[in-house]
Amino acid sequence: METKLKTLELSLGGLRPLQDGSREYAPGWYVDPETGCPVFYDGETGLFHTLGGGIYIPLAYMNPAPKQVTLGPGERLKVSISYKYSGPAVSSATERFCVGVYGSFGFTEKIVGSNSRSLSQSTTPLTYTSEYTFTIPTGVGTDWDDIYCKISGGSPSVNESIFGYENALLIVGKDPTISDFRITDFVKV
Amino acid sequence: MLEVSLEPLALETTTFQAGDTVRVTVSFRYRVGVDTRLNLLAAPYYANLFGKNIVEQCRGQTELFLEASPEESEQTAAVDMTLVPQSLGGIDNGAYGLVVWLRADGSTAGPWTLPGPIARAEQDNVLVVSGNSSGGMTDTFSSMMPMLLVMMLLGMVGPLLSEGSE
Repeated sequence: METKLKTLELSLGGLRPLQDGSREYAPGWYVDPETGCPVFYDGETGLFHTLGGGIYIPLAYMNPAPKQVTLGPGERLKVSISYKYSGPAVSSATERFCVGVYGSFGFTEKIVGSNSRSLSQSTTPLTYTSEYTFTIPTGVGTDWDDIYCKISGGSPSVNESIFGYENALLIVGKDPTISDFRITDFVKV
Repeated sequence: MLEVSLEPLALETTTFQAGDTVRVTVSFRYRVGVDTRLNLLAAPYYANLFGKNIVEQCRGQTELFLEASPEESEQTAAVDMTLVPQSLGGIDNGAYGLVVWLRADGSTAGPWTLPGPIARAEQDNVLVVSGNSSGGMTDTFSSMMPMLLVMMLLGMVGPLLSEGSE
């Protein structure tokens, strides 16, 4: 079978270094203008949290995928990301790419890749792009259809930014999927 | 509002002679990530109080090769089954359904067993089998069996009754 390269792009939005004092939000409670629900902004993690099942959980970082990429074992998937960064120079930040299963208990990573990245000092947001190419293994599960990317770490450490797509992949596994199975004819031979 | 749904055309009922070989053609769409071997099977079936049962002696089977195809592909395939005459332990005269099913290579799944086959298609009363001879020693004996049983019972019970009346 010819190995094809398929692509998926994600945008991580803007990044700031953790030491950057000019946060867009101060830690504390806010009201979600969409739902009217109170949400809490954690200044340490940079994530909004909401009350669910008696505990505070981060607001969803997973989003509906803008397109679905069909993939089978042996095929390659190139995931491209873009983000903007302003702040001091950062060395060895980690760009992490994951394919897996997103469900009630979070994201179960199945295939993981990462790049090490240095970011330049800048007072204005600079756009960075990056990519990672996965080769889909033979034992791929048909539910490995979610994907997320994040950038974190480095020196000085950048504010973790994470973004993902649900149902971004249509995995064609080793078990066949049959449809429209019908008898068209039967004759004596 | 007009609603139109497309359904596969019903198969026409066809009469075959016992001993005939019937070629059953199927079509389907599939996706699979790796080259795969499957088995395609076909058999006549009948229904009774216990459900649907295939006539095992007439079951036909062939191997099917599906090339890896992440995009949906169309496929047709054919399998032959022989309507083994009843005198050889096969199928009796009458109307039968036709069932075809796909199962993984090495699987023993029947059309209605659990876990089930990968795919199945069936239609009731579409095969009419004729041509089995109604004569012969075995058939004569079979048709006389109920009468013989009654006579044997009477033969056993009769003496007891007559002893009781004395």
